[in-house]
Formats: sequence, C-alpha cells, structure tokens
Amino acid sequence: MIFKQFRYEPLFQASYLLGCSRAREGFVVDPIADLGLDFYVLEAADQGLDIVGVLETHVHADFVSCARELAEMTGAPHYLHEAAEGLVRYEFTPFGDGETLSVGQIDVQAIHTPGHTPEHTCFLVTDHARSDEPWAVLTGDSLFVGDVGRPDLLVGDQALDVFGETERAELQFRSIREELFTLPDHVEVFPNHYGGSTCGGVNMSGKASSTISFERRFNLALSQPDAAAFASFVRETAKPFPDNYQWIKSYNLGLITKDELEGARRA
Amino acid sequence: MNPSEVAAATEGGAVVLDLRPPRPFATEHLPGALTMQFNRADLADRAELMLPQELRLVVHAEPEPIAKVAVEILLDAGFDVLGHLEGGLKAWRVEGRPTETLPLIDVDDLHGSLAAYTVVDAREGFEYRHAHIEGAVLFPPGEAWERADELPARTPLAVVCGDQTRSAYVASILRRRGCDAVLVMGGMVDWLERGYPIERAAA
Repeated sequence: MIFKQFRYEPLFQASYLLGCSRAREGFVVDPIADLGLDFYVLEAADQGLDIVGVLETHVHADFVSCARELAEMTGAPHYLHEAAEGLVRYEFTPFGDGETLSVGQIDVQAIHTPGHTPEHTCFLVTDHARSDEPWAVLTGDSLFVGDVGRPDLLVGDQALDVFGETERAELQFRSIREELFTLPDHVEVFPNHYGGSTCGGVNMSGKASSTISFERRFNLALSQPDAAAFASFVRETAKPFPDNYQWIKSYNLGLITKDELEGARRA
Repeated sequence: MNPSEVAAATEGGAVVLDLRPPRPFATEHLPGALTMQFNRADLADRAELMLPQELRLVVHAEPEPIAKVAVEILLDAGFDVLGHLEGGLKAWRVEGRPTETLPLIDVDDLHGSLAAYTVVDAREGFEYRHAHIEGAVLFPPGEAWERADELPARTPLAVVCGDQTRSAYVASILRRRGCDAVLVMGGMVDWLERGYPIERAAA
C-alpha cells in the first residue's frame, strides 16, 4: 500500500494519497487548493499511481478545495456522500453509507458520520495484502486527535442549517461513539486537521495521527458522559471561527465562483 | 507541441517518450513510443542509464503538469528534448492520428502457453540468477537499446521484470524495432507467488 499524508501547515490541514502499489492506482482525499493541482498530480506520479478517484470526507468550510479541478484534470470521478445531493451545485459521483471503493488490494469503505456536516463521511482503509481487517480510518472533521470537529460551521449557509447546533453536536457524538469507537483498537486515525486548526477546539493535538483505542481512552470531548454534556463541552472549548468560512463554504458548495470568493476575501 | 508538430518531429526521427504508467501506455500510445516510469527523484538517472543520449525526444505524459516537469528534468540531464505533446492523447485522437497498442498478458497466460514464447527477462543479472523462468533471455534495460536486434523478430517475445516497470520499457523498444513483444503484467513477483517453476543461477 502507498499511503501519504500531506500537511498544509498554515491551515493545519491534512490531505491524503493512498493507493495500491501493485495495481498502480490511487485515490486523493480532501485535496487543498493551497497545495495546488500540480502538487497532487506529481506526488501521485512519483509513486507511480494513476489517480482514479478524488474523494472528499465532506464539503469543507475552512479551506478552498481543489477536488473538482483535480477530478477534471485527471478524468477521475469526484466522490461525495449522497447527502450532498441538493446541497452542492455541481456534478459529483455519490456514494452511500457502507459502500466500498477499491484500487487493487486496497478497499476504502464509506462510513457516514453526520455531525460536522450532514454529508460527512469517514473512510475506512483496508489493505488486503496485509490483512482483511481495517488498518486506518480517515476521519475528516469528525474525530480529531484529542478533539472533535465543531458542529457550528454551517451558519454561513442558512439552507444547510437544517439542525440546531445542539442537535448537530449530539449527532457528532453518536456518529463517533457508534461508528468510529466500535472499530478495532488497532485502527489508525488520520484526521483532516490537527493542532491550531479552527475546525476543532482547544484540545486538538499537534500530532496528526492516532489510534482508535488511544482516542477512545483519552479524547476529552468524547469522555463526556452524554450527548448534552458533549454539546456544552464542545461549545466551551471552541476556538474562534475560521477566517472567511462562509465564503469558502459557499465556494466549495458551488454557490459562488472563485472570482467572487477572491473578491469577498479582499473586501 | 501540438499533434502536428509532434507528428512532424517523429517523421524527422524524434522518438516519443511516454511517461504514463504501463497500463494506459499498453492500451494506446503514439506510434513507436518508448515508455519509462516517471518519478521526479530518479527520472534523470534512469534516462541516463537506459536511453541513448543522441535521441531527440518528445515527451508524452498526462496530465500536463507531469509532462512539463519531465521536460525540465530531461533537459537538465542533457537530453535533446523538443517539447511535450500538448493536450495528450485526446488531442492526438481528435485529429484522427494513428496509435498503437502493447498486448498485455498475465503470468497465468504465460504459464499456460510458455512454449509459444521466448521469455525476455528485463531485470539485472543478480535478480535473474536468483530466480528466472526456464529459458528466459537476460536482457537488462540498460542494454536493451543496443541489443534489441539480437532477439528473434518472428517469435513472440514475452517480456518480464519484477512487476511491469522495466519490462514495459524493454517491450516498447522491442516493438519499435518490429518484434512481436507482449508485456507480462505482474512479472516475477506474481510468477513466484503462484509457485510456477523457476531456474536459479546460470547466465
């Protein structure tokens, strides 16, 4: 298996390249425009991988995604959870909960984990060359190392604001407890953010990977006794909102163009 | 370079160097193209080892950012590079220009009809001596350009390496020289994994 984590330090963002070294095919997950299309294309080429899918855990609010452009440049499908249908204004390839995308001996299974956003999905990675048990999970903005993704970043887009903040926090709590903490202990955790990222709270670790068992034992937010306590804990430990997140989210949803985004950022 | 510029260059003796992975190369490539693995870290070294310096090259890689970087790397390494095919295979096809394919087989196919092929082993001597298919001709990629005429032009040649990286390069040279070469996907790794018979040492 080929597995690379790319960190964009100014935003504490992590994107991923994973693929099968035998089949020479791979997926890019959560690509960030700040690193750029050439970056991903060349990194994949260096590994001898053809990019055959561009996956996103969710529609991001704190960084500009380049998933659409990368999919167009490589001819690969752009995958998002089917709950994004009707939310985004562009074509994508939907997948459902539990669905598996494969390259060679690598399986990537979608685990729908709503909470941070309605379409939020984690990707469970199994390398059958090593074991039929899962090896890692890309947790996007649900489970972070030491913290969780904040459930209050939908504000900029009222159309999406389908649940109240407390309900979304409770959804996040249940998604992580029931879908992620039930995975085997040894499963490694690779989040979309770490350290100073404003997508989580003050307890986020600067370490950009962990394991399910470590987080199950020591994640403060998830150690709260119930969903209501979790919701208040998340509110109390939240950081300031990410810069320009309403505009970034609107761009990533396809509601505004890149020029409009740049204009809004300058204003 | 647009497709007609590339076509004119190849008619004038330039060689297309295709840096896409073996499978897309095999499916469809420009006539007479050679193929090699792209990697920023060692493309220059590999090209120096495997390609004669006197070739005039046109790069074909997709998507475009790879082609641009490859041209820079090869120019820095002292190769005579004319440019890269803009718009890739799509642009080439739109103009109705001819393409070629490289037939692929897997190790089961090869094992099933071994008598029909001369096996060409595109690895180094130390790998060959450790384990190779009975009767295989040792044919390291660094010697392939010089030695291509040694191989029988009329017998089908099955080219193997560890996987299908070096073998794709050697197969592309052999086909350019008019040999009936096929590429064995999965190579010796798959062959050994299946437990098919091998020979050790010699040659």
